[in-house]
Parts: sequence; structure tokens; C-alpha cells
Amino acid sequence: MIFSIKNKVATLALLTFLTSCSSDDDSQMASGNGEMELYFDNSVNGDNLILGASTYTNSNNETLKINRFNYIVSNFVLIKEDGTEVVYDKESSYFIISEEAQLNTINLENIPAGKYTKIRFGLGVDQQRYLQGETAQQSFWDLADANNMTWTWSTGYRFINFEGTFTAPTLTGEKTFQVHQGSNTATDNYREITVTLPNTARVRTNESPSVHFIADANKILDGNSKIKLSEAMNLAGTSASVMGGEKLMTIAGNTTSMFVVDHVHAGGAEH
Amino acid sequence: MKKIFFFSILSVLFSCQNDDSDYIEINENLEFNIPDNFPDLAQDISLNYPTKKGFELGRKLFYDGRLSRDGTISCAFCHEQSSAFTHHGHDFSHGIDNLIGNRNTPAIQNLAFQSDYFYDGASNSLEMISIVPIHNAVEMDETLPNIVQKLKQDPTYVKLFAQAFENREITTGNTLKALGQFMTMMVSSNSRYDKYVRNESGGNLNSQELQGLNLFQSKCASCHATDLFADNSFKNNGLPANPFLNDLGREVVTGFETDRYKFKVPSLRNVELTAPYMHDGRFGSLQSVLNFYASGVSHSETLDPILNQNGVLGIPISASEKEAIIAFLKTLTDQEYINNPLFYFQT
Repeated sequence: MIFSIKNKVATLALLTFLTSCSSDDDSQMASGNGEMELYFDNSVNGDNLILGASTYTNSNNETLKINRFNYIVSNFVLIKEDGTEVVYDKESSYFIISEEAQLNTINLENIPAGKYTKIRFGLGVDQQRYLQGETAQQSFWDLADANNMTWTWSTGYRFINFEGTFTAPTLTGEKTFQVHQGSNTATDNYREITVTLPNTARVRTNESPSVHFIADANKILDGNSKIKLSEAMNLAGTSASVMGGEKLMTIAGNTTSMFVVDHVHAGGAEH
Repeated sequence: MKKIFFFSILSVLFSCQNDDSDYIEINENLEFNIPDNFPDLAQDISLNYPTKKGFELGRKLFYDGRLSRDGTISCAFCHEQSSAFTHHGHDFSHGIDNLIGNRNTPAIQNLAFQSDYFYDGASNSLEMISIVPIHNAVEMDETLPNIVQKLKQDPTYVKLFAQAFENREITTGNTLKALGQFMTMMVSSNSRYDKYVRNESGGNLNSQELQGLNLFQSKCASCHATDLFADNSFKNNGLPANPFLNDLGREVVTGFETDRYKFKVPSLRNVELTAPYMHDGRFGSLQSVLNFYASGVSHSETLDPILNQNGVLGIPISASEKEAIIAFLKTLTDQEYINNPLFYFQT
């Protein structure tokens, strides 16, 4: 699959070369292209997220220990201060953020120079792209599968895989929980999220800013709407699972406030 | 189309640089025709348009047991051509390690005309559909990445994938695409009924079959609609739930209680060959199916309203009407489909 991506890049490069031969208009070239880094810092309720270690109590009075927090972000659109939108190449615009695999950083390439003040992106995989199957997704299914982000009893992606253990006042002892957010053939739970940057991200050919996102895992169950794990127990009473129905639509709503941009590093700086 | 265009540019440039004559193999698009009496396609087949090499590769994969964990269960194990690609004689299909599933194997035919797959609609993409049986622990119990590793050991597959796909690689995506191309081409449209409605030779229905067709249109065609004899919907047809299975049907996928006990309306094409019937294969004959609709429909919250009119459950059908409907249903058998050598792979 890497080969095929290279092919495409090569193709584009060739095309670009051919185009530039036939035209010597370089007024557009003056500003050039640069890169932008997006860093996803996973947190829970204002604290660092440390998998399998710390516990926290949410406003439902349930105490969670998180063992897994993976999600898919996609379809990035970078918005300049004058409102101009730069849509990142859709073929290359699907990414997995995984706390356990330490996948936290996305590098966006070939970004036109400019001052960016907002970013819009999707949480999950849009239905249009999903229905195009592997034709469009390239090797994304493999990457998703390797990170526990696919379903196999049905076809589709987990948009969020949020797992761990918890205790609740109404339950005895510690139980496991699995929250698998996604779409199915009945409901489209893909959502777009727009974040405002607290300071401008300036892209130049030699300036690659880094945008520092904070993702709050608590928002999944304890956002604008509340979901109690203790009300999603299996028949045996051993485990809570949230994988379908109304709850996924509720989570979709909650996730629109799951992300904020904390700060933007100017080009070249470290975190 | 864009990709094909790019690829041709690359090919030209590459061929300028070297004369490696086997870089480009001959592959060609297959012809896909929508039968005159069929509705529109429900899948966008242009996204994975069948080519000769892709189709042939998909067929080889379909008949290859290496797609299962222990090499014993191919797709064709449960989808046999002679019974319209169902598992004849089994209410529940048995898969790997002789484990038994909890649903009756559905027919593989005219998939590109369907919007959702499996009795519960677990997939809506023809290209992704194979993921489900491959990973199911009681069917093939394998993973796509493992399959790719196995196929890469086989020089024949290395060659066939290279011929079928422009990136020439054995990948999970190309494996799914090849299977998708094979299944896209699996169109059954030449039954005696089809020839009758298209005014083709061999399309003669006798008076009982014509009576059955009329009865079918008034009593059955609201769900078994169009010449696909299905309407791409999920319905609770009033089967009393089997308490040992408690298969919730569509609710399993959607999580909505309003979808409880709803199952996909199946096509009735080749129905003579696809016994047993219903999602759990509980009925062994078409006679039993019609007996059920006439007098066995049971009430529950999600029962389709069409089967509960004015407090009467089911569909009134007399004994002679049942015989006529069954005579008509048998005209939907497509001998050309079940004998088509294109869909049979001989090693």
C-alpha cells in the first residue's frame, strides 16, 4: 500500500511538472506550501490520561479506570483568517489516534502558506467514504484493524474505542466497560467538529506550526448528555457495553465538544 | 476513471524508460448489463468495476479454503452453486470445526441490486461484505491480514493479483475487491418467469402458474417487490421467536428495540432451490412457508402492519391458491445461473 501511495505522489508530481512546463505563471508560487503538525494530547476531565492507572469519578458518580482510548479523526479542513478553506486531500485524510499505541501526531503536508485560525475535522469515517469501500480507503482498514478500530461481525469502523473498568453506587465490585462508537447501516454517527485556534497558526515553506489539541475522554459519557454505564449492563451483570442504538447518537452529540485546541506552537518549536 | 487515466500516463512514461514487456498485463473490463425487467443498481459498481482478471481472481478466492483458519472452509462451502449459492439441507450452516451458526445461509445472487446484506443488515457494501463470514468464529474464523500472508506464499496468487490490480499487490483491500467483483457479476435473470415478462422464447407460463403470478402480486408483492422479489427492507413477518436462539434480528445491528425480530426480506429468485426457508431455516418446504403465512403468524410489538389488517393476522390463502403460488414460484428457478460455468471454478 505504501507503494500505491508513492505511485500517486509520483503521478501528481509528474502532472505538476507537466503543467508547470506549459505555463510559467509563478505569481501563485510566491507563497509556496508548508506543513502543519497536529498533536492530540489525550486527557480526562482536565487531568492526564494514564491508561490502566489512575481512576476518576464523573458527574454520574461512576468511577472509571480507562484501559483504552483510540479514535479516528478525518477530513481535515484548515480555515484561514479571511475564511478561505483549505480542504486536505481526502484520500490522505483519515488518521488513528491511539493512546496505547502512542499515535498522537498527524503531519499535514502541502498546506498553502497562510494564517490559519480554525480547523474543522470529522470524528470517525463519513458514510460516503465508507460506502466507497477499499477503493478509496486504501490501506486504512488494515491500520484500523491493527488498532482495534474495526468491527468484524458487521462491516464498519469503530470511531471511538473506549474501554476499561468502573464502579458505580448501584453495583457491587468492579465491572468492565466497552464503549464502541460508530455508524451502522441505520444511523450515521459521524460528526464534524470545528475548533478555534487560540493563536494563529502561520504556515510558510520553512515554518511548520504545531497545533496542540486536548481530547477529553470524559466527554464521551459525561458531556452535554449523560450516559450511565451502570444502565448498560449485560444480562449476566458482569460488563457494561455501549455499542448501538440511541446511546451512540448521544455520544455523537457529546463528542462535538470533546476537543479543544490548547495552544499553537510557531513553526519549528517543540511542544 | 481518474485512476485509470493517471495509470495510463504512468505506463507511458515507464514504458519510455524501460522495455520490461511484462510490466503491463492485459486486463479488460467485463460487460455488466442490467436486465430489462430489473430495477436500478443499489450499489455503485463503478467504484470496483469487475475486470476479467479481477473476476477470475475473485472466483478462485471464493472456492479457496485458505480463506478460513484451518484451510477447510471456503465461501463455496456454504454457498453452493447448485442450490443458488446457499447451503442445501442445513437449517443452520456448519462452518469451521463443525461449529453451527444461528442463521440459514442466504443466496448469493443479484447482490449489486441490494442495498443491505445479511438478515440483519450488518453490511451495506458489496466490497466489504466478505469481512463478516471470514471473521465469524463459527464460519471461517480467519483474519484478512492472515489471509494475505497465506496468499503471498503462493506464486500463482502473486501472479494473479499482479494481473488483476494496478498496484499489483496482494493486500486485504485487493482481496475484498476481487471477491466483490466476482459477486457483482453473479446475476440471476434468466428464469422462465424472466423470459415470460421479457417476451422471450421459452417464456411460457401455464394457466396455474399465471394464476399463481396474479395471486402473488396481490398477496405477496408488497414486500417481495419488483422483479428482484425483495424490497431491501427489514420486517418482522410474525415468526414466533425461537426461545433457544432469541435472535433479535435487525436490532442486533441498530440497537433499536423498534427493530426487534425484523429480518431482511429475502429475494424469492431460485426459491425452489434454496430450502430451508426463513432466517433460521425452520421451514423445509414452500408449502410450510405458505401454511405459516396463512395461519401461523403470531403477534408481537414489531409485527409488520401489513400482516395484521383489521385484527386478522397473516395472509388469507386457500389450499388451491397455495398450489398455484408454489407453481409460480418454481418459474423463478434459473437453470442458466446454477449451471453457468463462469461461476464454477475448477482447479
